[in-house]
Amino acid sequence: MTLTETKMDNKIGFFVRNQSIVVPIAAIFVAFVLGGILIFLQGVNPLVAYRAIFSEAWFDSDGLLRTFQKTTPLVLAGLAVTVGLRVGLFNIGAQGQLISAALASALAGIYITNLPPILHVIVALFCGVIVGALWAGIAGVLKAYRGVHEVISTIMLNSIAIGILDYLVSNPFQEPDQSLQRTKKIAETAVLPNIGVIPFGFILAIIICLLVSWMLNKTTAGFRFNTVGKNKFAATYAGINMKLMVVTGMLLSGGLAGLGGAIETLGITYRFEPAFNAGLGFDGITIALLARANPLATIPAAILVGTLRAGGASLQFETGIEPEIVDVLLAITLLLVSAPILAKYLFKGKAQKSANVTSGWGN
Amino acid sequence: MKRMRTLAGISILALVLAACSSGSSDTAADTAAALDDSNCAAAESFCVGLVTDIGKVDDKSFNQSAHEGAMAAAAEVGGFYKYIETTDTKDYAANMGQFTDKSYDVIVTVGFLMAEATVTAAKANPNTKFIGVDQFQAEEVANLTGLIFPEDQAGYGAGYLAGLMTKTNKIGSVLGLEIAPVQLFAKGFEAGAKAANPKVAVTTVYHPPADNGFGDPVWGAAEAKKQLAQGADIIFGAGGGTGNGALAEIAKAEGAGTAVFCIGVDTDQWFTVPEAQPCLITSAVKGLTEGTTGLVKKAFDGSIAGGNFVGSAGISDYHDFASVVPMDVQDKVAGVVAGLKDGSIKTGVTL
Repeated sequence: MTLTETKMDNKIGFFVRNQSIVVPIAAIFVAFVLGGILIFLQGVNPLVAYRAIFSEAWFDSDGLLRTFQKTTPLVLAGLAVTVGLRVGLFNIGAQGQLISAALASALAGIYITNLPPILHVIVALFCGVIVGALWAGIAGVLKAYRGVHEVISTIMLNSIAIGILDYLVSNPFQEPDQSLQRTKKIAETAVLPNIGVIPFGFILAIIICLLVSWMLNKTTAGFRFNTVGKNKFAATYAGINMKLMVVTGMLLSGGLAGLGGAIETLGITYRFEPAFNAGLGFDGITIALLARANPLATIPAAILVGTLRAGGASLQFETGIEPEIVDVLLAITLLLVSAPILAKYLFKGKAQKSANVTSGWGN
Repeated sequence: MKRMRTLAGISILALVLAACSSGSSDTAADTAAALDDSNCAAAESFCVGLVTDIGKVDDKSFNQSAHEGAMAAAAEVGGFYKYIETTDTKDYAANMGQFTDKSYDVIVTVGFLMAEATVTAAKANPNTKFIGVDQFQAEEVANLTGLIFPEDQAGYGAGYLAGLMTKTNKIGSVLGLEIAPVQLFAKGFEAGAKAANPKVAVTTVYHPPADNGFGDPVWGAAEAKKQLAQGADIIFGAGGGTGNGALAEIAKAEGAGTAVFCIGVDTDQWFTVPEAQPCLITSAVKGLTEGTTGLVKKAFDGSIAGGNFVGSAGISDYHDFASVVPMDVQDKVAGVVAGLKDGSIKTGVTL
């Protein structure tokens, strides 16, 4: 190796070692450049368009509140998928878990009436978490004891959840004298408040995120999770109870998604209506992939998505660009993060193989 | 690694599809007469804003009609017009807020689903005039006018025609969400059909509650196919993109235009959904565009009043099917439509 090459290596060494951070940032940059070209082709100055998004999402008090509100369920749905991936499970059913939990916490907020405020919120959140966990737990048990692949079972459970919830909100729990299929409003005592522009749920999501990160990285349980995820055969030889890990992994994943749904109900929508929670669970998959299954990284990933979504309306108001451009930006980013093209281009032979978070299909 | 890539592939595909489904690239600001909205607060400027429900201004149905109406009115009186397309039901308030922040004079909100959010916004902004298309006002708010339509009459006219035209005595309707305007269409359709032909059986199916209730052509097509298989020969597709999916499916069915017919909704869909032309015998229309234009102009000259404003409803031209629908049927239907208008015939529909 020549002297200049060694120098080069030292220079980019920092970047090579931290490519799990560098690659997503580079991907976002490239996505914004490509998105900028698309915006320019529609006759709008891309800088004006991006400024419209960010000034609405971050520098306007209503906008900032909405950014945090939109970020909160995304952090939790992202965490739910992340935890699953760490145990080698691909939980596609975060959506079903989230919406069942949203209804459960709404019902707890409506029909439990004699509790003091703080306790009522805690109980309602807890109901959501339990229902989300149990809904995912069905897939966990099926996987552990019957070998049903979780991708199949969780996505089917999504549809089952939608069907059951449609029935529940159009019949037993529908708001009286209301043609829309939705529940009544939750009691005042069950409302999760905003602290200035920061929703309480956001703080809760950050705390949970830190806890999950600590659990996965510093505890025995986390070590077991990761071991199972990396190599289930090695884990079995090491004496780890696979069945238990699969079931608890799904319970935890579902509980996190459920917490996202519960916070959404108690902090934003104050009732359950099927249209309210559209797509949040699926956004969780995007977030987890952007974050490369790193729990702490779900926070910036969710903030990015939340910002773009919250600023989308202003984008159309200011420039006439349709808000769907935001989805294009996310798609390009995700493509570049997930496919190893960018890392290979940036780091040549030193590129890490794409985040190796799961074992292959079919186990 | 392999799985990761597959996951990524699925997610990317989903995102790209979501982005593509919007399709067109028309911009909001290019159509207005006035230059910009920098001084909407000034007395001499007149700014009109429109917020769609979950849907686009080129949906060939509901949102598009209101959008065209508001745009035409603004152009006529030399005002400025801009719109926002809602992508998340939780953003209704924020989207209206964009317009109230800039002191727009009139804000048109489209669709029953926005009714509550519109009432809240109207109460919070007493100096702005709000027009709620398809939003029945149970309580009068001084600066909010609900533009409503006798959908049951339009449905009744279309149903009467269907009742006379059916050979199998089985007809059906494929509908959007089960909300008041859609229910009125559906119940009017059934009542009209039964009035024309007591033997007729009507199958009615609503989209299950979801955020794509009016934008699910795949579901609409599947339900239409089911009803065709059960022997229905005239199907009423009413529900934005969902209904359009049903119409397009029937147009492709065997016997379309000879033995099997479809009926559109809201606007004359002969023009807005040309792929339905092989089967589209008529459309149950409501005067969305004229109604919106009229109210925006009333807001301009100050004659608008709070409460409800009832627009017009009826059935559209037969177009190429004028030769297929027998003359005596056309006469009978015309008589019924006229009777509905002057009040001599009642649909008897209640919700």
